[in-house]
Amino acid sequence: MQLHPACRVRQEGFGLLFYDSRGPRLLFVETGDLLTPEFFSGDDPVAAKLALLEKGERARVLGLLAKLSEKGYLREQQIC
Amino acid sequence: MSNRYVEMGLKAPVNLTWEVSLACNLRCSHCLSASGEPAHGELSREEALDLVEQLHRDQVFQINFGGGEPFMRPDFEEILDACHQKGIMTCISTNGTLLDEARVARLAKSRLVAIQVSMDGARRETCDAIRGNGVFDKAIEAIKLLAATRIPTSINTVLTTHNADEIPAMYDLAQSLGVSLRVSRFRPSGRGADNWDELRPTPAQLLAFSDWLAKSGDVRTGDSFFSLTSQERQGLGLNLCGAAKLTCCVGPTGNMYPCAFLQTDRFKAGSLRENSFKEIWDDSEIYASFRSLRIHSCEECTRFDQCHGGCPAVAWHLKNDISGGDPECLERCVTSIADANKAAEAA
Repeated sequence: MQLHPACRVRQEGFGLLFYDSRGPRLLFVETGDLLTPEFFSGDDPVAAKLALLEKGERARVLGLLAKLSEKGYLREQQIC
Repeated sequence: MSNRYVEMGLKAPVNLTWEVSLACNLRCSHCLSASGEPAHGELSREEALDLVEQLHRDQVFQINFGGGEPFMRPDFEEILDACHQKGIMTCISTNGTLLDEARVARLAKSRLVAIQVSMDGARRETCDAIRGNGVFDKAIEAIKLLAATRIPTSINTVLTTHNADEIPAMYDLAQSLGVSLRVSRFRPSGRGADNWDELRPTPAQLLAFSDWLAKSGDVRTGDSFFSLTSQERQGLGLNLCGAAKLTCCVGPTGNMYPCAFLQTDRFKAGSLRENSFKEIWDDSEIYASFRSLRIHSCEECTRFDQCHGGCPAVAWHLKNDISGGDPECLERCVTSIADANKAAEAA
């Protein structure tokens, strides 16, 4: 899973601010310290990053990822 | 749109309007910046590229390029490339007359650019009366070139009294060309102020447009019509003025303003020749005044949550009062028509 090419994310005081240029539209997510924009960048697969989280945090992050995916901010990444 | 987070203050605008030059090869009668000749002392290539670097560092998501006609600047494509290399998304507002096959092919190499081509009527006569003879046909040619690429393209129409009845036809035209339609509000700045009485839509036209818009969810209006937004379109866009909160404007000489419609000394937030973009965004008193602006005269209105007093720029230009409430909001259109009807009955 990765950030959709039309989308960007940055850190704000409340958490993460997502921007989708297709609207354009914004999504304000109160993530606190749970996630940083770097989670959505780089080459490390999200699965590897998730594995580093504690069970409770992982569940919260998975819920957030599901919401972001549903809203089109994330897209499935093909592995082959 | 969550106003709570916006009111907490963002560390940078999410997008901004950058009028890269006042130079324009057209003389449209509604032009918000009275474009024509380039402004004295426009930002140099080096200054422009430095600004791109700053906007990247400050994590501005998108730059909306306007003017003037952006392609009148010989280095415009270089500025655009610099944005794309930094991952900044761009949207260009153009009159389309300087787009040819080669330029469109160069633009299409980036997946970060979107283009709006201005057209002000579905009929050649209507459009050319505002934009100049032959412009309708040139814009159509440009749109066809763009529609053949993967560049997200839209027709941008400024709603005036002369084209208000043609907006549904504009939508059909856009559909037939394979692009989308965006409608922008006519505001009394630049040549728009000089021609305000001749071009402004009537309250009845604004109400009819609001009704049509309610049924046209795929038509975009940017920050233009939240003062007219009906319940059906809630959630599709802003419900408050985003100036100095979500967006701002950089003028051709590097002066910063709350929005493109308030590019006067009274609303100058700072100069990029004196301070950094970040310093102006964070510390400008003008921006602070917009962030704390409350339109108290509108707070009792039943639609307050839907527009928060509307467009301060229109209030300023028409009433010389930034906090006076939008004179053309949905509620005032309804009242104005009712008053006219009563006066007619009494007569």
